[in-house]
Amino acid sequence: MRKPLKIKTKGDKIDVTVPGEKPTVGHLHPLTLVKRKVEEIFQAMGFSVIEGPEIENEWYNFDALNIPKDHPARDMWDTFYLKNGLLLRTHTSPVQIRYMEKNNPPFRIVVPGRIFRHEATDASHETNFYQVEGLMVGKDVSAANFKAIIDEFLLRFFGKQVKSRLRPSFFPFTEPSFEVDMTCLVCQGKGCSTCSRTGWIELMGAGMVHPNVLKAGGINPKNWQGFAFGIGMDRLAMMKYKINDIRLFYSGDLRFLEQF
Amino acid sequence: MVFSYNWLKEYIKLPKPEKLAELLTMHAFEVEEIKKAGKDYVLDIDVLPNRGSDCFSHIGIARECAAFTNSRLQIPKFKLKEDKNLKTRNSVAVEVKNKNDCSRYTARVIANVKVGPSPKWIQERLKVCGLRPINNIVDATNYVMLETGQPLHAFDLDKISNKKIIVRRAKNGEKIITLDNKRYNLDKDILVIADVKNPLAVAGIKGGKKAEIDKKTKTIVLESANFDSRIVRKSSKKLGLKTDASWRFEHGIDPSLTETGINRAAEIIQNIAKGKITSGLVDFYPKKVLPKKIKLDYRYLTKLLGLKIERKDVKQILKRLGFKIIKEEHPILIVEIPTFRLDISLPEDLIEEIGRIYGFQRIPAAFPIVSLIPPKRNFEIFWEDITKNILKESGFTEVYNYSFIGEKEAEVFKSAVEVENPMSVEQKYLRPSLIPNLLKNVIDNFRYFNEIKIFELGKIFPKERLEKRMLAGLITGDAFYQAKGVVDSLLKKLGISNIWYDEYKPTPEQSKIFIWQKERCAEIKVDGQEIGFLGEISPGIFKKTKVVIFDIDFEKLIKLCSEEHEYQPISQYPAAIRDLAVLVPLDVKVVDVLNKINVAGGALVRDVDLFDIYEGEGIVQGKKNLAFHIIYQAEDRTLKSKEIDKIHQKIIKILEENPEWEVRK
Repeated sequence: MRKPLKIKTKGDKIDVTVPGEKPTVGHLHPLTLVKRKVEEIFQAMGFSVIEGPEIENEWYNFDALNIPKDHPARDMWDTFYLKNGLLLRTHTSPVQIRYMEKNNPPFRIVVPGRIFRHEATDASHETNFYQVEGLMVGKDVSAANFKAIIDEFLLRFFGKQVKSRLRPSFFPFTEPSFEVDMTCLVCQGKGCSTCSRTGWIELMGAGMVHPNVLKAGGINPKNWQGFAFGIGMDRLAMMKYKINDIRLFYSGDLRFLEQF
Repeated sequence: MVFSYNWLKEYIKLPKPEKLAELLTMHAFEVEEIKKAGKDYVLDIDVLPNRGSDCFSHIGIARECAAFTNSRLQIPKFKLKEDKNLKTRNSVAVEVKNKNDCSRYTARVIANVKVGPSPKWIQERLKVCGLRPINNIVDATNYVMLETGQPLHAFDLDKISNKKIIVRRAKNGEKIITLDNKRYNLDKDILVIADVKNPLAVAGIKGGKKAEIDKKTKTIVLESANFDSRIVRKSSKKLGLKTDASWRFEHGIDPSLTETGINRAAEIIQNIAKGKITSGLVDFYPKKVLPKKIKLDYRYLTKLLGLKIERKDVKQILKRLGFKIIKEEHPILIVEIPTFRLDISLPEDLIEEIGRIYGFQRIPAAFPIVSLIPPKRNFEIFWEDITKNILKESGFTEVYNYSFIGEKEAEVFKSAVEVENPMSVEQKYLRPSLIPNLLKNVIDNFRYFNEIKIFELGKIFPKERLEKRMLAGLITGDAFYQAKGVVDSLLKKLGISNIWYDEYKPTPEQSKIFIWQKERCAEIKVDGQEIGFLGEISPGIFKKTKVVIFDIDFEKLIKLCSEEHEYQPISQYPAAIRDLAVLVPLDVKVVDVLNKINVAGGALVRDVDLFDIYEGEGIVQGKKNLAFHIIYQAEDRTLKSKEIDKIHQKIIKILEENPEWEVRK
């Protein structure tokens, strides 16, 4: 590591173009910065921040979320298994169930956390990464409420006019289910190679909580309804900082980390 | 899944491919790609997993398009010409052992067929959709599968022993050679189509060689059946065999479709391969599936979406999707669901249908009205944030490492939780400590940085079912006291007092793990509790460079944190500093000397600062020199020289009570 330049000023005139002495500072990980920003935005809207365990069992990770065994829907999540029916959680959604079991509605929470996927690693896939789950349940919490909250989040996170659009999707734990796209930041929605010329980038999955999931959490779906969403935090960080390889986050490479 | 644009156009008027793709994406399924294929276009449509039963077919997609465009679906009616003299039930017998494995089995027989290549129009359509033409019989079955979503299979009837088809579980030890000459071992978890002697096909997945259609085949039996999705999925996984047919069965199919499929296939085969269709349909269908009825409350629709849709629009959408409104008593609608929609069983499913055809983009943004109770502070995250900030301010860079370690690192820790299906050898175990990956960070970065200060706050997995949050930091070089200073500073800022460092006395269990360098490691203690370790890493496990690590149980730490901070009034009166140097044996701990000074000095000693430790040249062998600044100050008066001298002498006297200790004068 190069030693910092310690130059004493001599004479009356100071050469103002000599580089300044850099103070030794540390750096926080970009995912920490993104996590904090996400928490801050949702806390400002009254969401509590909740965390849950990384090791889960099949019931909390799949069955309670309406993903039955022997069903092709399970193929949507490639899982790391441990002994005795335990596994590494494939999403932060199990915490929805854990929270509902212990709390009565109305409530709104976000759940940041590390998740695990049994997938081959490449520039956009890793074996462990981060997700933020959101859950809001009330007497008449609707899809329109979700749209307002997510638009507000996008405005505060990306700091500029970013539109969102909802289109049909499928998740076993929501019905209706949505795919949420946002305006492509690279071309401002005009269309480019990043967004396959559509002007839209896929951002996250969401939907209205499936009655079976409410039931699994001990909440009566006849009296309560709500929405849930899951955003990839690595994805958010990659879009915000224009990072093109997710593996950098877990590389420990100081040349990368010291840029933040 | 790929679909032919021209084929779809046969059933419904369609906009241009690009516009169609946009509409499909916004109302049904994402279209990943449109490719030109000669005079046709190929659409790669990402059919959602719960719509496989009705949309893995061109008619299914066309039906979707009819729902969101305003065009009418036009499915041509199929006309079969049966031969009155030949009866199907006299030509082939069917026995299904368990109706749970196969809820419906239909069969038809076609005699005097001429097996040969299929006409160009069939071959083209198969090729556009990624299937290989084989012969007119097999191609017809594949064509009907792509068209209707019902997989079919054709057997050479003359090769079937006793002309009897049995749908049963395979026996343990049975084998089959499939059409592509591969051999598979079967067992009782696998469903097969068999004759009285051997298995003829793996049900719903792949046909066997025994009853294969070839150039000489004269009589065929067509199978159009409904196999239980779970058993097909299990069999497919077990044998490692995935086909267009098995993929469809896995997603579940409408039993009514078997009849449509077989009739359509018979009609096509008659047209392109000639032959006489025997009259009648052999149909094993013990429990007929009836359309479901769902009660939809119009108010719930509005409430869930947060969007008011006109009643007439709701009814029109349901109609265009093929749903029947059998009763209307506002605000309730009783809707009958066609049997081909296996995915619809709840009012929420109907609401999704109505919402997506109407257009989710039309849902307005409307903030919820909620009570103004602010969220409770999450204390774990609060202290986590403060901790990370403090370490950053102390010059550390935060790293995030994998939750996994490899065999080499696991050996050092003697035991680690194993992952049953790791992605690689380097990720075979869950990390029992943050330390191995931090050491790896040093190796990876050493090319570019020779002074490294990093930390990680994350979960470790010390044993099965246990996960614990730990804080670990690393400084390269001879940095023990630097690290100690950081830990002191961190704990102090977290409001923790009564921190002390004890010599590391490993338990017999811990001794087996030689991470820490003997006699160069401390236990970090708060009151009586050990909360972590601080020390040099043994060169036995890390040779690259000297490295000091602090490893703290963050969960224990949080319990001790406090935001309380009492301001210490600043004395108006001046402080006086006197230096004191004492020669002590090498094994005497600084803390013991400090304690003696503080106890002897009492309240008027505001602070004692060690500023030098010296041993070697000029010092008696076996001894070291400790030099302190002692800061004397009173809160209520200026201390007189005489007062200070008195206390100072008292301190010296107490220190020299130990004959081996000598205060330098």
